[in-house]
Parts: sequence; C-alpha cells; structure tokens
Amino acid sequence: MIKEIITILNENGLHALPASRFVKLAEKFSSKVELVKDGVRVNGKSIMGILTLACEKGAKVTLICNGKDEKETFAALRQILEGQD
Amino acid sequence: MPKEKILHGIPASKGIAYGKAFIYEIKKTEIFQTPILSVYLKEEVARFERAIEKTKEELKKIKEQINREIGEDFGQFLDAQIMMLGDESIVETVKQRIFDEKKNVEYIYNEVTGEYAKKLGESKNAYFKERVVDIYDVGERVLKNLLEISQTSVLEAPSGSIVVARDIPPSEATLINPKNVIGIAMELGGRTSHTAITARALEIPAILGIGELMGKVQNGDDVIVDGERGIVIIHPSAGRVTYYETQQKKTQQLEKALLPVCELSPETRDGKHIDISANIEFFAEAGHAIKYGAIGIGLFRTEFLYLARHGSPSEEEQFKVYNALAKKMKPHAVIIRTYDLGGDKIFFDYHEANPFLGWRAIRVCLKEKEFFKTQIRAILRASVNKNIKIMFPMIATYEEIKRVRLIFNEVKQELKSKKIDFDEEIQLGIMMETPSAALMAPFLAQEVDFFSIGSNDLTQYTLAVDRGNEKISQLFDHYHPAVLKLIKEIASAGHGANIWVGLCGELAGDPLAIPLLIGLGIDELSMSPSSIPKAKLVLRTLIISQCQEIAQEALNFRTALEVKKFLNRMVRKRFPGIEEVMK
Repeated sequence: MIKEIITILNENGLHALPASRFVKLAEKFSSKVELVKDGVRVNGKSIMGILTLACEKGAKVTLICNGKDEKETFAALRQILEGQD
Repeated sequence: MPKEKILHGIPASKGIAYGKAFIYEIKKTEIFQTPILSVYLKEEVARFERAIEKTKEELKKIKEQINREIGEDFGQFLDAQIMMLGDESIVETVKQRIFDEKKNVEYIYNEVTGEYAKKLGESKNAYFKERVVDIYDVGERVLKNLLEISQTSVLEAPSGSIVVARDIPPSEATLINPKNVIGIAMELGGRTSHTAITARALEIPAILGIGELMGKVQNGDDVIVDGERGIVIIHPSAGRVTYYETQQKKTQQLEKALLPVCELSPETRDGKHIDISANIEFFAEAGHAIKYGAIGIGLFRTEFLYLARHGSPSEEEQFKVYNALAKKMKPHAVIIRTYDLGGDKIFFDYHEANPFLGWRAIRVCLKEKEFFKTQIRAILRASVNKNIKIMFPMIATYEEIKRVRLIFNEVKQELKSKKIDFDEEIQLGIMMETPSAALMAPFLAQEVDFFSIGSNDLTQYTLAVDRGNEKISQLFDHYHPAVLKLIKEIASAGHGANIWVGLCGELAGDPLAIPLLIGLGIDELSMSPSSIPKAKLVLRTLIISQCQEIAQEALNFRTALEVKKFLNRMVRKRFPGIEEVMK
C-alpha cells in the first residue's frame, strides 16, 4: 500500500475536469484507489465521491493506492492531483 | 378560426419567421415507491443497467453535436456527466440497495443520487455547490429512461418549426438545427441568455422573456415571430400573414441583391480604405462574417465561453476556440476581447446593487489575477497564427491600463521561459467606452496599439441611461452631441499618437452614422455580419473631405434630434447615391 499527503495546486481546485481525468486514469489500473480529506474517505474510481470532497486549491488530500500495480497507479494519479489544468 | 393573439417580448435575434409551433416542454418525472418481489429483483437491476446504457448513448450524442457545432472539444464538460452516470459508487450502491430493500429502482436511484447532491450542496465552495445541477441533469435523464417518459427534443422539430418553450436548457439549445427550426419564442430568457446567443449565431429570429406563453399555443398552431419589433403573433389573421409574407419577400430580395456587394472592397468613392469587420460571439458565426465580406473580426466576444458552461473554461478549452477562429479568418485579423461580464457570472455567490457601475469586466480581471492570466495565456498561445490582436474592455483610468500591461508582460515572460511560442508583435488595444477614458485618451493612447470605441456602453455611461429600462430607454441616443464629441476626442487622440481607431457597436452598422464616423476619423467599423453589405454600399458613395465637413458641423447642435435631422438632409444632398441604399 502507498499512502501520501498531496496538496492540490490547480487554480480551480479538483474540479469536474481533472476529477474525471483522475477517475478515467484510475480505472485503467487494478489497484484499489482511495482519497481521504478531513477524515472523509472516498472511492478514487468514483467521480461523485471525489467531487463531494470539494478540494479547493491548497487542500491537502491523502492518496491511497493498494494492489499489484500500486506503484504505477500512484505515480500516474499524483500527477493529476498536482497538475495545473 | 381562433382569434389572433399578439404577445410582446425581448427581441433577442433579428428577422421574421412564419411557421408552425413546435412545443418543447421539459417533462417532470414523478417518483413512486413500490415493493418488488424477490424473483423480480434481478430484472429490476437489469432495467437499471439498460437505463444507464441508454442515457450514456444520449449524452454521447449530445457531446458529439456540441463538439461539431460549437467547437472541437467544447462538449468536454459532458464527460463529467457521463462519468457521474457510470459512477462505481452510485451504481453499486443502487444495485445493493435494490436487493437489500426490495424496492423499485426509480425510488432507490433517486434516493442515492439525492444523498450525493445533498453532500455537494453543503460545500462552501461555489463551484462544487454548482455541480448539484449536473447530478440532477443526469439523474433526470436516467429516471426518464426508467419511466419510459419520452422527452421531446428540439432535434425532432419538423421543417418550418417555431420552437415554443418555457425555457430551453443550454445542452438542448445546442441541438437546434437551423434547417428545421426557423424561429424561437420563449417565456424566460433575455438578450444574453444561451438561447439568444445560439439563435443569433444560427440567424434564427427569436423573442424571449415573453412571460405567459405556453398556455396560449398548441403544437401545429400558426405562429409569426417578428424579431424586429419583438412580437409573437399566434393564429395570425390572413391580412397579417400577407403583410409578413411581403416583408419577408422584400428582405430576401434585398439580401439577394446585396450578395454581390459582399465581394466589393470597402472604400470611399475617393479611394480611402476603411476596414469593415464583424462583431461575433460564437465560432460558428465566423462563417457568416466571411460570407458577408468582413475584413476580419473586429470584436470576438468571449463571454459565451463563460456562460455556456458551468464555471470558467480552462486555458486549453479557450485556446482551441481562439486558435480555430484565427485559422479560419486568416489572413484577416481577429480582435479578441477579454472577459466582459459582471463578477456574478463566475463567482456565483456574488451579488451587487449596481452592476453597471460595479465589479465587472477588467475590474474582475485585475482582482482575480490568475483567472485573467489564464485567458491571456490562451490568447497569446493562439497568436502564433500572427493575426490575433487582444483588446481589454471597460478601461476607465490610466492606472488600469498600466496594470493590464504589467500582467500582460508577465504572462509573455512566463511563456518565453517555458519556450512556448506566441506573436511577439501582437497588438494590444482597449475598448473606449467610459467618458473618463475618452477624456484621458491622449494619455491612454501612449500605452496601446489601438482604440476601439464601444458606442453602446459609451452612450450609456455618457448619458447615464440604462437602455434596458423601458421608462427611460428613449433617452438613450447614440447621436447625442455629447457622445459624438467624445468620439471625436478619442479619434483625435488616437491619431495624435499614431494609432488606429475603430468603432464596434450598433452605430458602426447604421447607414446614417457611417458618413459621420468616417468624417470624425474612424479607421475601422466593426458590426454584426449581416450589416456589412449595406455598410459597404454606403461607404462607396462617400467622399472623405465632405464627410469631414458634415462631421464638423454635426458637433454644433444641441440635441440628438437636431443632429439626426441635419444628417438626414446633408447626407442625401452631398452623396446622391446614398438615397438608394438608405431605403
């Protein structure tokens, strides 16, 4: 399992576009993906879950990947969370 | 024979249409709760899966349509909706609960999505709060498919339809096919609503904001939409029909006659070239601009990008539209105006008492620097096409243009350091639409490459008249000597500093105003595409020195009426050919 706190850098936060990109990418991996913010834990392959976290710019979220390809999953998803678009 | 009814509304898109009513109604879904026998639970889940599949197909179709008609990748925001639809958590929870609670899928699905909507709705951030709209949008579609409620779509409107609706949501408005839909009448909406923008882009006459309408029309009723006078006529009398048919014929003949004019070069009788360009707000309108013979786009309004979707568009989305437009208009120029709306359009929880004097346009941009820089970056990146100019609206003070330039240069530096190409010689201009800018024009001219006079706002701010207010709209008059004096100040200041001066706004396309504006020294006129042929004809009858004399004298009158009387008389006397065009 890989677990790390990541700060959202996107100007508009983790809004619908990056969130959908995140889910699309997460679905390509077999690992279980979860996001935690302020004690709320959601399925990282669920756009609704991610949106309900309402991550604004500067928010700190914990990304948790668990599974056979967890390393690749984590690296790929981290880029989206830290991305600017 | 039913009695003729005349309804008044806001003329949101010009033209006249006579056709049959096509009622577009958003059908409500009613959720009921019923127990399901254990043996049928599997079928209940299967029904759910089918509804999801069907809805997914619908959304994909809409997305393709938007991409095709508005611009590539513009339907991207629907991706989020498609994902919400197939969302793992929702789908799994619904299935599980069907088995656990042994209740019908409509009830369960509505409960589950409702819980998510509630969570999102509690968010303090306006953006996330707004996403509730998406959940309801998707949810409604699924429920309709479950309940087998066939929602009519404007896609189904037969040839010769006048679409009659209470409201048309943005996703639906983009599906309007101008081959079949010839007019629009709507209870809600105004000039800046999505439907209005779409109607103008497609050149479909439209009357919005009518108030009570739906109860008065039925499918197939005869309807006339008069976009010139802002009226909708239901069950028109035979006499009325004849009148409008004649009008329509006249307009068509005129258009036909004007077609060869589109090709003519825009110059005065004594050979001075005046750029005649087009004001557009929609990529699809670029085609009209070219058809009517525009020398480029004098004003590309970017507000649509912000209004058409929830929240502000990304740099990439904007870049795609600007880039496509620049490519389409080559070798002619495209002037892109930055964000020109009130702050309430992007910050949904923001309200103010006096929006026209409030936090709007450049004032929003200078405060929300990153928001501003995103748009500038997108415009700069598209400027590699070498035909883009950038224009900033509502400049009222010298400090503002100084600050704009600072930010503009900052973005340029950032692009350079990232080795991203852009046009280093891109021209930077400002809209001249406040009296203070006009009076300070000699100083402002030192800081920019061009001025473009926004005659509508300049008139509004000079005469202190809100033209949208019926009680005082008669006080709004472009020909008021106070407005003309400011235009003269701006033109002189511009030429004194060796920069060009254009005018975009209704005045630019007004045949009576053209000789006056040319006489005041305006170098470029930008107008709605359909006004261009007439403007060219007017221009080609003019002689510069005489326009100057007329303009000089026009400034000596006391009232707008005196100016107009004088112009009507003088223009006809000096330029005999103009009589034919003015008719």
